[in-house]
Amino acid sequence: MDHFNYVIVGGGIAGVTAAETIRQNDPNGTIAIISDEPYFLYSRVMLSKPNFFLGKIPFDQVWLKTEQWYKDNKINYLGGKTAIRFDSASKKINLSDNTSIGYDKLLLAVGVNVRTLHIPGSDKKGIHYLRTLDDGKAIMEHIKTAKKAVVIGGGFIGFEMADLLKLAGMDTTMLLREHHFWDPTLDEGSAGMIERAMTDGGIKILKNAEIAEILGAENIQEIKLKDGTTIECDMLMCGIGVVNNIEWISKSGVTTGKGILANEYLETNIPDVYTAGDIAEYKDLLLEENTQMGNWVNGREQGRIAGLNMTGKHEAFRFVSFYTTQGFGVTIAFVGDVAPGADRTIIARGSPELKSYMRILVAHNEIEGATMINRTGEMSTIAKLIEKNINVSDKLKELADPNFSLKSLL
Amino acid sequence: MQSTPTTTNMANQKEYTRKREGSSIAKIVVDRDLCIGAASCIAVSGETYELDNENKAVVTGSDAVDDATLIMSAESCPTKAILLFDKEGKQVFPK
Repeated sequence: MDHFNYVIVGGGIAGVTAAETIRQNDPNGTIAIISDEPYFLYSRVMLSKPNFFLGKIPFDQVWLKTEQWYKDNKINYLGGKTAIRFDSASKKINLSDNTSIGYDKLLLAVGVNVRTLHIPGSDKKGIHYLRTLDDGKAIMEHIKTAKKAVVIGGGFIGFEMADLLKLAGMDTTMLLREHHFWDPTLDEGSAGMIERAMTDGGIKILKNAEIAEILGAENIQEIKLKDGTTIECDMLMCGIGVVNNIEWISKSGVTTGKGILANEYLETNIPDVYTAGDIAEYKDLLLEENTQMGNWVNGREQGRIAGLNMTGKHEAFRFVSFYTTQGFGVTIAFVGDVAPGADRTIIARGSPELKSYMRILVAHNEIEGATMINRTGEMSTIAKLIEKNINVSDKLKELADPNFSLKSLL
Repeated sequence: MQSTPTTTNMANQKEYTRKREGSSIAKIVVDRDLCIGAASCIAVSGETYELDNENKAVVTGSDAVDDATLIMSAESCPTKAILLFDKEGKQVFPK
């Protein structure tokens, strides 16, 4: 049985950043990364960007680490292998190819999986999800021939894919199960700005619309909604959320909630077992609650902290997360915790009419998060205000004034 | 902090001069066609970068951090949109 001082399950940005950090702090420890994908680290966030799909960004730009980098850093990359079980008493991981690997320290950075459709016809060809590079390649290939596309899901992926499909020249319809875009994270005003931009960009949006059946022979030809409406299409793109596949992890004794539970040091309840990235449901010191954040910067920062702590440091993860996107001439950014809650006061800064609109979520006299449409210029400042726990209780009026400089509060 | 004077070249790249004492990096370039606003550079060095309203990274503090942090910020970019050059004009990142 092979044995490594550090074993990392997951070859994405969290896992690879952890390996890099471990190597910087422990020149001699042995490191292995187990990944169910065959590829060296690539840019998962690039996969949904129109410029990448349409060739404006060269394909090879997707690669972030070369084979040589793994060699130079003495990181054993075990690609195309799936971890299926681990035993914390004997410190052993079992892989799907019937081999086992021993570890001293283990990092679970397994990511999340896409939610898939389970309706009649959902096995037909021409239905896409986006998680891996292979998913991206399949979409790239299909857009060369497809004519009519339907996108399901009003979130980041749905938004970016609609932009891409339209730019690729396809007749594109978007289905929203909710009554506005990104409900309930965004309000109707913000959603309206995005919907108008998409409609102006040629996307047909159907709200309160839920798919019931996929029709066609081998390939998708048409979809049927719950209200009986049918839409002809030869490509279906789904961005309908994620699922946490953690059964094998919870069976091994690791405490799980929605994701893998961890404290602020990204330690699980089992000694020497850590977690990072999209799958980690960690204690967020700034928000003072358990949170799961699925985005690139969060995965990278958590990989770094987990890597440090695996080498014997004791550093807490303390970071304001953010995510941005753009398309159809609008920019969208989320900072901190943007989940709506009864205890949160929402301050509007700017307005949909001004085509520049931020919602600042305030609780316990501090800013918890913000959503911003066409105001990404203020993202860094908001992140710093959250990070520094600035008391804004006597500044609510100023926050609502789009001309007031937020930087002056720092 | 003062923004460094910038120029934009034909390739839609914004260039920022760096004059930090003891630094071997003399120029930071942001390729605005490559930048997707992932903001990982800001996560590494909020002293150096911000996003503008077009969701592109701009340098607001070209001298704010040491070379190691600056290189780390460029390495963190998921589209390799940040390029670093030494005093002789040789590209030091991406290699």
